[in-house]
Amino acid sequence: MLSAQERAQVAQVWDLIAGHEAPFGAELLLRLFTVYPSTKTYFKHLGDRPDEVQLLSHGQRVLQAVGVAVRHMDNLRAALSPLADLHAHVLRVDPTNFPLLIQCFQVVLASHLQGEFTVEMQVVWDKFLTGLAVVLTEKYR
Amino acid sequence: MVHLTGEEKSAVAALWGKVNVEEVGGEALGRLLVVYPWTQRFFESFGDLSTADAVMKNPNVKKHGKKVLASFGEGLKHLDDLKGTFAALSELHCDKLHVDPENFRLLGNVLVVVLARHFGKEFTPELQSAYQKVVAGVATALAHKYH
Repeated sequence: MLSAQERAQVAQVWDLIAGHEAPFGAELLLRLFTVYPSTKTYFKHLGDRPDEVQLLSHGQRVLQAVGVAVRHMDNLRAALSPLADLHAHVLRVDPTNFPLLIQCFQVVLASHLQGEFTVEMQVVWDKFLTGLAVVLTEKYR
Repeated sequence: MVHLTGEEKSAVAALWGKVNVEEVGGEALGRLLVVYPWTQRFFESFGDLSTADAVMKNPNVKKHGKKVLASFGEGLKHLDDLKGTFAALSELHCDKLHVDPENFRLLGNVLVVVLARHFGKEFTPELQSAYQKVVAGVATALAHKYH
């Protein structure tokens, strides 16, 4: 699905995030909950107003999973199989929520990278994250 | 009808005051055409859209992007009556241009990303939230006269 050049571009952007999974993930979740409050229904265990510690912890987990995906772009289904099972049988996040998370991901990337956030990065990451969401929801039924 | 608090309305207006409509409009439309290339279906007369670089530098894209964003800016002055403000444009997009309203949502999202790119940390989650409500409202208003 992703060409060799696109995979290289995904990895190039990931290099800018790697090592900063926690703060990046925390901001991602904060934006998600602020902009799309209905997404909080999936995070009742974090309380109505998750604090920084919780956001950093959970955000790191989400971003580390993205990192796994980046390292296994040629074998996403196998690499993400346990997460796909989790989302299908336990979390059951409605698939319409993934584009909301992706939008927030792009906003975090754009606001941090600014001048460096090229249109090529935006299209490649949109394609990559959308593919990720497909894999995570594939076992739903 | 967009439900923004007084504070959100001020923040939206304050940020918009700093936006270079020509630059941001061209960039938003350009990024739409590259990130979601099927949207190019409406712009076949625009010339070279064959590469990301060609799209972003295309003078027709820049010109049209400026026009679209100027119209959006007008809408910001009438947040309490977006449907009225965009009624004529809604009819145009349905009857003459035949644009699927989903494209308004896509462009709105791209615009938010472009604003984030330009304003960096200043584009807080609260400001993003306000702008996402605005772009959703404009998209709904533009779809309102469809039949």
